[in-house]
Amino acid sequence: MKRLDVDKFGERLTRRLAGRLSRRSALARLGALLVAAPAFPLLPVQRARAADAATAGQKGTDFSRAAQTHDDTACNYWRYCGIDGNLCSCCGGSTHSCPPGSQPSPTSWIGSCINPDDQRAYLIAYRDCCGANECNKCSCLNTDHAMPIYRPQANNHIIWCFGTQSFEYHCSMAVLVGLAE
Amino acid sequence: MKRIAHEAVKSAARIAALSMVIGGGLAAAAWAAQPGGAPPPVLQSETAGVTPFQGLTAHDLTYSGLDGVTTGGVRIIDGDTARTVATVFSSQYANFAWAPDHRTLYISETYWTLGNRGTREDVLSIYGGPTLSNEGEIALPGRLISDPKTHTFALSADGRYGYDYSFQPAPAVSVIDLRARKVAASVEIPGCGLVFPFGKRGFASLCADGSLAVADVNAQGKYAVHRTKRFFDVMTDPVMDESVSDPHSGLALFTTYDGWVHPVHLADTPRFDKPWSIEKAAGLSPATSHVGQITWRPGGQVPFAYEPSRHRLFALMHEGPPWSFEKPGSEIWVLDARSHRLLHRWDVPESAYLVAVTQDEHPLLFALSEEWLWVMDPDTGAVLRATKIVTPGLARVRGGQ
Repeated sequence: MKRLDVDKFGERLTRRLAGRLSRRSALARLGALLVAAPAFPLLPVQRARAADAATAGQKGTDFSRAAQTHDDTACNYWRYCGIDGNLCSCCGGSTHSCPPGSQPSPTSWIGSCINPDDQRAYLIAYRDCCGANECNKCSCLNTDHAMPIYRPQANNHIIWCFGTQSFEYHCSMAVLVGLAE
Repeated sequence: MKRIAHEAVKSAARIAALSMVIGGGLAAAAWAAQPGGAPPPVLQSETAGVTPFQGLTAHDLTYSGLDGVTTGGVRIIDGDTARTVATVFSSQYANFAWAPDHRTLYISETYWTLGNRGTREDVLSIYGGPTLSNEGEIALPGRLISDPKTHTFALSADGRYGYDYSFQPAPAVSVIDLRARKVAASVEIPGCGLVFPFGKRGFASLCADGSLAVADVNAQGKYAVHRTKRFFDVMTDPVMDESVSDPHSGLALFTTYDGWVHPVHLADTPRFDKPWSIEKAAGLSPATSHVGQITWRPGGQVPFAYEPSRHRLFALMHEGPPWSFEKPGSEIWVLDARSHRLLHRWDVPESAYLVAVTQDEHPLLFALSEEWLWVMDPDTGAVLRATKIVTPGLARVRGGQ
């Protein structure tokens, strides 16, 4: 599989978004995000996870020592250090897009994984795709820094389909949020 | 090819003819055995019905299927025979509990009017009677939809109240009056989750800062919630969701990823005993979260079972690194929760995800792998019997948590 070129990917994504989204659409989405923000306080979570990740980044984890960066359909792909469920990459989607027929949840739990290529910790949003029957392909259960259910912002057992039309779990993405440093 | 097929057909015909001859001979011999050579009586016609349900026995195991992997349903298996007794319908992501009469089954579950969409209905379904049939539902204000977790639903020890953990995503506990068949209160527990009942109407929840939220009714009959001190460090070694508790005595054994057991006597003012290490009980160094430390650790889906009468804690154990708390157990360790001693280490035939122990005088130990239920003797570790099962989610026994 082709190695992921983050710069080119970022450029492509930005161009695609700019080409497809009207300003009104972007503003509407931003508005929705602001409305949803009080219910899902992402920033404090990000900061807390960033502190974890910074510590973890100095030492690595048992998962990161054996992780790889070229095959996003394998459970040991670096971003999947805390994933629990079916990989969307095996179901017609990717690490950051839902397969057709399913819908991305606007909510997620946040983990941090170490990229073996640069040994830096990145924030990863584990977002579920919902509405279609369970994909049942590439089922992975990784638990790096996964927390119990009473700490929901870092728990991978909750069905993160809040805010979608359906709670039917289909698969999980591992969306790169940014550096956790 | 054709020739072989022809020969095969011929051989099959010969076997069939031989069978008929043998069968006919046996039938003739049976006729001859009847007094006076009379043919056997014609079998009586039958009426289809439902096998009467005798109630959950002390050696029965009730388990649910693992959502996403298998179909739902709550299934009962007789531990003395390893045979299926009954199956009750449930939705995905359901939890369940038996009333103290051992005949009434409550299932906390969620449905949508159009399958995967439409109007959502969260209900507590009631099953019982001689055929274990549906006896109605109690509407719930919400539920947590998650992989199976034992402590998302529980009954008070006397069976009068049900407690259902809700996450919408604001965390709360619905207190259900099971006699009046209605939700009596919705108790908000911000920053906390799960439910561990104690006393007549009290419950405790684990909190994200390492403390407990304790809820009980005050003099005005309303629930009041307060926090205890922090007794574990959630960032370095959190208490597992699947820690065991005994609703009758109020003793909870909150156990961490690294195998530290925090005994807490649940009450309005909980009493915290000194923590002890499962690994130390076995003569090993305590497990830590240091990268690369491969040692014995508790793990699995439901990794602990408790037998209050003998204070025995059963733990599924595996050798693994930090954060491997969901790896299945290759051994069951039997620990004395009073003296903090390791009593036995039993091998399981196949790595097990769930463990359960019956609560009677002659207990049975259950180990559940992805496909098998192993019925074991908790005193010798001997495998008494086994049966194939659907991939299990949760498991409960009579009188257990």
